[in-house]
Amino acid sequence: MPLEGLKGRKALVTGAASGIGASIVERLKREDVQVFATDIHATHEVIVADLTDADDVEKLSARVGAPDFLINVAGGPVAPTRQQTLPDLPSKALLLEDLDEKQWASVIAANLTTAFLVCREFAPRMKARKFGRIVNFASIAARRGSDRVGVHYAAAKGGIIGLTKTLALELGPHNVTVNAIAPGFIKTPRIEAADWGNASAAFLESLPLRRAGTPDDIAGVVAMLCSDAGGYVSGATLDVNGGWYFGP
Amino acid sequence: MKVAIVTGAAKPDSIGHEVALRLLKEGMQVVVADLYEEGFAALKQCVCMRCDVADSSSVEDMVRNAVHRFGRIDVLVNCVGGSWGITRKDLLSSPPLGFRGLTNCSLDDWRTIVAANLDSVFYAARAAAPHLRKQGGAIVNVASIAARKGIPPGSEGSSGPYAVAKAGVMGLTRQLALELGEFGVRVNCVAPGVIASGRLKRVMALTGKERGPEGPMSSIPLKRVGTVDECAALIVALCTDDTSYMTGVTVDANGASYAA
Repeated sequence: MPLEGLKGRKALVTGAASGIGASIVERLKREDVQVFATDIHATHEVIVADLTDADDVEKLSARVGAPDFLINVAGGPVAPTRQQTLPDLPSKALLLEDLDEKQWASVIAANLTTAFLVCREFAPRMKARKFGRIVNFASIAARRGSDRVGVHYAAAKGGIIGLTKTLALELGPHNVTVNAIAPGFIKTPRIEAADWGNASAAFLESLPLRRAGTPDDIAGVVAMLCSDAGGYVSGATLDVNGGWYFGP
Repeated sequence: MKVAIVTGAAKPDSIGHEVALRLLKEGMQVVVADLYEEGFAALKQCVCMRCDVADSSSVEDMVRNAVHRFGRIDVLVNCVGGSWGITRKDLLSSPPLGFRGLTNCSLDDWRTIVAANLDSVFYAARAAAPHLRKQGGAIVNVASIAARKGIPPGSEGSSGPYAVAKAGVMGLTRQLALELGEFGVRVNCVAPGVIASGRLKRVMALTGKERGPEGPMSSIPLKRVGTVDECAALIVALCTDDTSYMTGVTVDANGASYAA
């Protein structure tokens, strides 16, 4: 039986050019959702926008209108720029003393400011129509901490959880739910290309489900949260990590 | 054909009842295990078995019968629970009036409530595990927002032992996730807030107040109680491949009442 409450709805997916975002676009389309995809990285399917820039967000909203579902995937441990839109991931763990203020600020902007700006742009339309589902992307780095991605990324994703809980309270009376997904080790093509992708067999064996996650594993949870099954879920952070970390 | 067992599904207007109907729609053979035999007639497409989940031998018999009949178990949903209406003697009675906390409940309250809410899940999971392990599958347990925030003194319709037992269900979920993960069995939990089930309606009819056991309805950020339908849809999604990489997790469904 397909998930109920998806067909005919309109979604905006950010960070949609690759990896988890691209998989979410495909999944929602399969559920007959009208999907708008955006990314700073140009592919033939996305509206190109730099979501750290409020002007770009405003231009995006002129094209998208009022989505029912807002899926904020944009971000990553290395901030993209307009020049380098799909940056490689580093090959080794990022330690505190490796990071300068510029990296700190750019990763906070790419992961946290983007979600703030996009929510600020589209939430009022959801409020006006008395319906909305917002799904933000946190990370296991914010839940259990991380030994590789760096404090800037973990802090930004922790910020996403606070933003999610606060927006859930603020938008709840308008029938808008706001949740976050905290993925664990998900083998996207970009992670596979980095040394980070070579998770040791011992690590994978230590996971209760004994495997890395896939982008499709995450897309299913997004679909669930947007469907009627997610109707009463709000303010929650869903840990999707094969049992690596169970949450608070 | 996949086979699912749902405990606590016979009462109409309950989360378990709706879960059973939805698992049928997913194309599964559904076994309903419940003490409330009066409800079996309304679940004709399911195989209903009288079962006292607080009695380990009754649960083992039920699982044995299910396997004997259908040869396999793919899904176990533990919906049974509550602070009252959980023994054959009081199945249809009204909720007891007054607050039953840990410091003022009877030892009998404690034992009965912990047996129905926590022992029951342990018995069912333990009996079903050897069968789930064969081909993989999913267990979904139902906890409660009470496990997150407790039952405030003065509340009626729930109890302190219930809050503690449901916290135990969350711990049991994690432990089982570790033990069964390598066999492709995922174990997750849903922690509902105030849900418009038959039980809530009976509490409200008795107290005449616009509040669930966990607090006033007006304090729910989403400004409504949850429906049995959406809660059941969430439980069913945790049984399907949509959640293929989730295990050991408790999903809170409480209208933003308590963000864990």
